[in-house]
Amino acid sequence: MKPAPDVYKLNDHILKIKALLIELEAMAPDFPALSRNSKRALATIKMMELNLSDVITTDLADL
Amino acid sequence: MPDQEYWNPVLETLPLEKLKILQFKKFKRILAWAYTRSKFHRALYDKAGLTPDDIRSLEDIKKIPKVEKSMMREIQNKDPFPYGDALCVPLEEVSIFCQTSGTTGQPVYQPDTWQDWEWWSECWSFILWAQGYRPSDRVFLPFGYNIFVAFWAGHYAAEKLGCEVVPGGVLDTQSRILKIRELKATAIMATPTYVLNMADMAKNKMGIDPATLSINKITCAGEPGAGIPSTKKRMEKAWGAKVFDHSGATEIGAWSYECRKQPCGMHVNEAMFLVEIEDLETGEIIEEPGRKGKMVITALDRIAQPCIRFDSKDIIEWDSESCSCGRSFRLIRGGVLGRADDITKVKGVLISPAAIEEVVRSLEGLGDEFEVVVDKQGDVDRIKLKVELLPGVTQLSVENRLKDQLRLKTNLGYQIEYYDYGALPRYEAKAKRFKDLRKKI
Repeated sequence: MKPAPDVYKLNDHILKIKALLIELEAMAPDFPALSRNSKRALATIKMMELNLSDVITTDLADL
Repeated sequence: MPDQEYWNPVLETLPLEKLKILQFKKFKRILAWAYTRSKFHRALYDKAGLTPDDIRSLEDIKKIPKVEKSMMREIQNKDPFPYGDALCVPLEEVSIFCQTSGTTGQPVYQPDTWQDWEWWSECWSFILWAQGYRPSDRVFLPFGYNIFVAFWAGHYAAEKLGCEVVPGGVLDTQSRILKIRELKATAIMATPTYVLNMADMAKNKMGIDPATLSINKITCAGEPGAGIPSTKKRMEKAWGAKVFDHSGATEIGAWSYECRKQPCGMHVNEAMFLVEIEDLETGEIIEEPGRKGKMVITALDRIAQPCIRFDSKDIIEWDSESCSCGRSFRLIRGGVLGRADDITKVKGVLISPAAIEEVVRSLEGLGDEFEVVVDKQGDVDRIKLKVELLPGVTQLSVENRLKDQLRLKTNLGYQIEYYDYGALPRYEAKAKRFKDLRKKI
């Protein structure tokens, strides 16, 4: 059986991709093919945040 | 590779107490978002003397005023055109327009950003994965792709899962059936009414037994039929496929679903939605299983036109049982049991159209279609039921059973009219089978 993935490591990757896409979008305001696709990709990254980052960053330890 | 049961193995197995913490965090986030960006929401909360900071626990959430559909209709006369001031993003951020079907009045416009549109298909991905959709599926969508949200998000979710999607948009019913056969499609998504109509068309007009086609699963939406045991049974028998229920709405999102275990109820996606059940008379929040009430729902991540404590009028109840699938998302017993504005009194007896449907569809000699008309004869309520007899079936052979079952399940006597098979209207999307004429008399 495969070991369970390290959710914190997965979250780190999500946040890194997000940061790169935000940077890319900002760098290419006059390059619609890049800025609009970055924006669209960020919406997909947001889904990853909803699926994992939100729960990782919620303090569930107090329960 | 072993099959993964969950679309999201973290969220779908998160213990309920942890889910509640997550819901609270997300509720605060969407509340603050709406309060700072929408005149409509700010005015609503200011009037109640509340700011997002006043919400310090899940218990406090019930202080937040509910939003009624009629309020959403009213704001559409305001700026920015055409949505009004519940809009929380600049107009240029809106990428999709949809509107409600108008079943209960003037349609409500629904703006969504691209992120919202991703979110719609994300919610549907939970549903389809739980119902066994996988990349090997070829999914046929027999619906008119238009201004109604219907199965749009189902389409994109199926794509996201890796399925092959066949958009059966403007094809007529016969062409759709032929295309399903030609392509050996494995799944369809449609309203229960249309699932039955397609089967009827295939069998009785085209000489094709739908059970011999390759469809092995059907996802229903738009009507409660897939949660009504006799209707589900008819669909499963006709198509030789598993039929799954799901519930959603244009202004809410896709918030609940049946999984492959078909537990006689639906899981609420509690990672994406906060569902509260409110007592119909006292308004008290019902936490315990087994008590029916009206659903008040919050979509925790929808941003363009947030859905915060929306009074959905759906009647639901928590199930005391958990599901053997292992999801921690709670079940609502029997799915959506009806709508508060559908439940009406006839001769002093509370009646739900779903109860009549359950009886009609449980009798083998009757066709799928029926119609209920309530009117007054003098001062007395009268309820008329129109049913179709299947070919070769006589009125005498079903009459007593039908009357007995109606009396048993609904506590009412009916004036029953029998029609030849095919005489009653057929519908492609949501059916209008219940007509209450008393208000017009």
